[in-house]
Amino acid sequence: MSLAAEAFVSQIAAAEPWPQNATLYQPLREDQILLSDCASSLAVQAYLRMCGLPVRVCCRANAEYMSPSGKVPFIHVGNQVVSELGPIVQFTKAKGHSLSDGLDDVQRAEMKAYMELVNNMLLTAELYIQWCDDTTASEITRQRYSSPYSWPLNHILAYQKQWEVRRKMNAIGWAGKGLEQVYEDVSQCCQALSQRLGTQPFFFNKQPTELDALVFGHLFTILTTRLTTDELSERIKSCSNLLSFCRRIEQTYFEEDKDSQSAGSQYSRGPSLF
Amino acid sequence: GPLICVPELLPCERLFGFVKMAALLELFCWKGSWGLPSVDSDSLVVLAYARFTGAPLKIHKISNPWRSPTGSLPALKTKEEGSFSHPSKIIIHLRKQKYNADYDLSAKEGADTLAFISLLEEKLVPALIYTLWIDSKNYVEVTRRWYAENISFPLNFFLPSRMQHQQLERVRLMRGDGALEAGEEAEKELYRDAQECMNLLSQRLSSNKFFFGDSPSSLDAYVFGHLVPLLKIKLPNSRLQQHLKALDNLSNFCTNILSLYFPSEGQEGVSRPASSSQEGSDFDHEPYKRRKQLLSVLVAVAAMLSYALLSGIVAIEHVQEEGPARGAASIGPAQEEEED
Repeated sequence: MSLAAEAFVSQIAAAEPWPQNATLYQPLREDQILLSDCASSLAVQAYLRMCGLPVRVCCRANAEYMSPSGKVPFIHVGNQVVSELGPIVQFTKAKGHSLSDGLDDVQRAEMKAYMELVNNMLLTAELYIQWCDDTTASEITRQRYSSPYSWPLNHILAYQKQWEVRRKMNAIGWAGKGLEQVYEDVSQCCQALSQRLGTQPFFFNKQPTELDALVFGHLFTILTTRLTTDELSERIKSCSNLLSFCRRIEQTYFEEDKDSQSAGSQYSRGPSLF
Repeated sequence: GPLICVPELLPCERLFGFVKMAALLELFCWKGSWGLPSVDSDSLVVLAYARFTGAPLKIHKISNPWRSPTGSLPALKTKEEGSFSHPSKIIIHLRKQKYNADYDLSAKEGADTLAFISLLEEKLVPALIYTLWIDSKNYVEVTRRWYAENISFPLNFFLPSRMQHQQLERVRLMRGDGALEAGEEAEKELYRDAQECMNLLSQRLSSNKFFFGDSPSSLDAYVFGHLVPLLKIKLPNSRLQQHLKALDNLSNFCTNILSLYFPSEGQEGVSRPASSSQEGSDFDHEPYKRRKQLLSVLVAVAAMLSYALLSGIVAIEHVQEEGPARGAASIGPAQEEEED
C-alpha cells in the first residue's frame, strides 16, 4: 500500500465509528483450529473486549485464505479487513480506542518489547511443538489442519504447511533445538513474564494494555488445550501469579456471557485440539 | 586461501601469562573492517560479550566460514561440549564458565533483557539484513564487494551470492512473506519497524551509559552488535543509518563501547580509511587482478584450443601439416587424388 493510500485509509478509519456488525474470522473451532492460531485469535478477542468494542466471532474453514496477510485471525469492520493483533491495535487507535495512551515512553518501550518476547518465544514454541515434534504433528496437527479437505489435497496442504514452518525454524536457528530445549525456553519466557507482572493486577498496574491481551491469549490457550503431553501447560503452572492473571482476565472480560452459548462458554470449556 | 589468525590477548591474560591458555576456548568470527572488530552482527555480539566479561578466548578472525568448526560464523570451540554457532548458545556457555555479564541484574532486569533482545530480533534484524544484503545498491557496492575481496580465491565467486540468497530466504521466512523482494514496499515496511525499534531502545536507554546502570550486560552486547555496523559502514542507501545517527544517545552508546572495549579497532579505523584502505585496495589487489587476468586468458586459450581440437578443426591441422609439404613438393599428385 502506498503512503498516500495508507494515510487515506487511516483517515477513513478515524472518521467512521466502530460498527455493531464487526466480525472476527478464525478457522473452525471444534476440529480445525491449531493451538497457535487459537492463541492469536483469543488475544485479539481479549483486546477488543478490553477496549469495549463488540465483535462477532465467525468460524470459516478457509479463514487462512480469506485473510489479506494469510494469517488468522482477521477482523472485518465496515469495509475494511485487518489481520493480526499489531495492525488491529493500530486500527483501533486510529478510531480513537487505545489502551496504552496512559503509559510513558519507557513503559511503552517495555510493553512493545514484552509483546515481542511473547511472539518470539511463546508463539514460536507453539509452532515448533505443533509442526516439528513428530508425535504432535502426526497425531494432532496435520489431521486438524487439513480436516476440511478431502484426499489428496489434505495431505498436500498439511505437508506443505509443515515444510514451510520447518524452513522457518531453520532460518531462525530453532531447527537444532530439541523438544526439551523448547520447553526450557517456554519456562524462561514465563518466568520473565511472571517477574515483570509481580503482584500487580495487570502488567502496567491498574489498567490492561494490549500486552495483557496477548499474554492472556497465549497462556489461556496453552492451559486449556490438551496436547500429547501436559509438559507445555505444566511449565506455565509453575508461575502462580500468571495463573491468577489468566483467571482474573477471564472473569473480568469473558465471564458475563458464560451462561449464554456465545464465546465465553466455549472458552471456559477450553478449545481443545482433540 | 590463507587463514588469518589474530590471537588477541585481553589485559588479564597479559598479566597472568599463558598459564591457562592450553584449556582456553577458541572463538571463530568474521574479521573486521571499517573500524569495526568484525563486520558481522552476531560476531560482534559475541566479541562484545567476551570483552565485557573478560572471558579469555583465543580469537580467530577469519574470512572463510568453511574454516569454522561448525561451518558458519561465529563459532565457539570447546573441549568438552563440541562447537556451537548461535550467539545465545555461546553466551550461555560463557556464562556457565562463570563469565557472566548479567550477574548483578535483578530478576526483573533479567526479564527486561530477554524482552528487548526479542524486540531486536523481531523488528530490527530483518531491516538490517535488508539494508546490507537485499537493497541492491548497498549489496553490490558495499557488501558483495567486501566479501568478494576478503573471501579467498575460488570461494569468493559464489559464496557472497549464496549468502545473499540465504539472507533473503531468512527475511522472507521471518516475516512470513514468501514473495518479499527488494523494493520500495518491502523497504518501507521493514524500515518502519526498525525505526520504531530504535526509537524504543533510545527511550529505554535515555541518558544512561548502559541499559542497566554503569556496567554493561548481555543486552548491551546485543544492541551494540546490531547497531554499530549501521553506524560505521558507509552505505549508498543510508535511510536507516540516518535514523540511527539522529538518535544521539543510541549512537553515542555504540561509539562509547567501541572506544572503551575495542580501543585498537578505533585507531585502525582512523588510519585505515584515510591512508591504506582506498589506495591500499588498488595496490594490494593489483597482483590478484593480474593473476586473475592471466588466469582468465589461459582458461580462454585452453578452451579455444580444446574446441579446435575436438570439433574437427583437427582436419585442418592435418591438412596444414601435410598440405604445404606436399604442395611445396608437387601440386599435381594432390590434384590427381582429388580427381580420383
